[in-house]
Amino acid sequence: MTTAYPVAKAETDRQEAEVAFAAFIRRLIQDASTLQAIDSGEVDAIIDPVSGRAILLPEARAALRQGAAPTNQMLATLSHEEYQRLLAAGLEPVTLAVGDILHEPGELIQQIYFPNAGLLVSLLTTVQNHMAFEIGLVGSEGMVGLPVAQGIDTASVRAVVQGAGTALRMESSRFREALETSPVLQRTLHRYTHALIAQITQTAACNRFHQVEARLARWLLMASDRLQSNPLRFTHEGLADLLGVRRVGITVAATALQQQKLIQYRRGNITILDRAGLEASACECYQKIKDTFDRA
Amino acid sequence: MRRQQIAKSSDPSAVAAVRVMRLYIVGGAPNSVQALANLERICQQHLKGNYQLEIVDVFEQPLRALADGVIVTPSLIKLSPLPATHIVGNLSDQHKVLVALGL
Repeated sequence: MTTAYPVAKAETDRQEAEVAFAAFIRRLIQDASTLQAIDSGEVDAIIDPVSGRAILLPEARAALRQGAAPTNQMLATLSHEEYQRLLAAGLEPVTLAVGDILHEPGELIQQIYFPNAGLLVSLLTTVQNHMAFEIGLVGSEGMVGLPVAQGIDTASVRAVVQGAGTALRMESSRFREALETSPVLQRTLHRYTHALIAQITQTAACNRFHQVEARLARWLLMASDRLQSNPLRFTHEGLADLLGVRRVGITVAATALQQQKLIQYRRGNITILDRAGLEASACECYQKIKDTFDRA
Repeated sequence: MRRQQIAKSSDPSAVAAVRVMRLYIVGGAPNSVQALANLERICQQHLKGNYQLEIVDVFEQPLRALADGVIVTPSLIKLSPLPATHIVGNLSDQHKVLVALGL
């Protein structure tokens, strides 16, 4: 039987096969909005009408190959046995959508979350019960509900999902019990606590001293590191709330970054065009926070 | 954990008709997982149980996808009320999904 789609003969043919695959997709699909979805990385598989087979795109294939293995970096430090023990104790996968609130200030933290790659959670501090701005970002490098590890049940910040994806979650009481018997997880949590405090401290200084344009550049880089996607989908209003500035401030800053050809902003889609240039435009805080996490 | 409340559709008749939808996915693939989460949230907020959703894994049933004119996943099809509409991607653009669903 002949197949209508290109197949790599060996790893050495990989690049050639990928080019052939991309050309094949374009021959199959004429519709502009579908091509746009493919170009923005929003498609997992293509069905070949000739063979009637579904063909996974490379990113989806890589994600599925990892199987049930978590992409959370803290859980990845655990041995297979320790990870299995956490699963047996109630660690479970969950899918989260943009806008989901994981906890509010003053509330009991019912569940802790280990985000997998692609999930982005903002930690927001609230002022006068309605104004909120971001003091920390959590992705697959971290955990939401850190106070539980320190024996504190109540949240001091709001945790809200900014980028949809999956996480592994566990009831707080069960997590605390599991933590007592896992020195590896304790050490990982100590290092993460240090890095998160450094991030929060740096963000506090950044919010006070740096211009909106540099802060926006810093935030986009941090979000892109954690979301691992391009474009990013955020509105001016959303970004203004996160950075604690007026919407017009974000519009001016985003326009300036766009004029320098560092980003492209189109209907809520922000594409980073020049990462090195954006890093140069960001305040020093981006690199400082990144270094702390790399060392931790 | 709870879903954030957002503004509801101002047109009450838009909510009254039962939406019949089919979502084509690849189970476990990142965009499919996101599409399902985004759609569940939109249904919860805008359709209040007034919908039917069938989820089809194209690795199990690729020919059904082709019969519906679906060539990539994730793809959402609104079958009813007519006209049928089709939207591709992880459904993170809520506005686009609401327009496709006629809300």
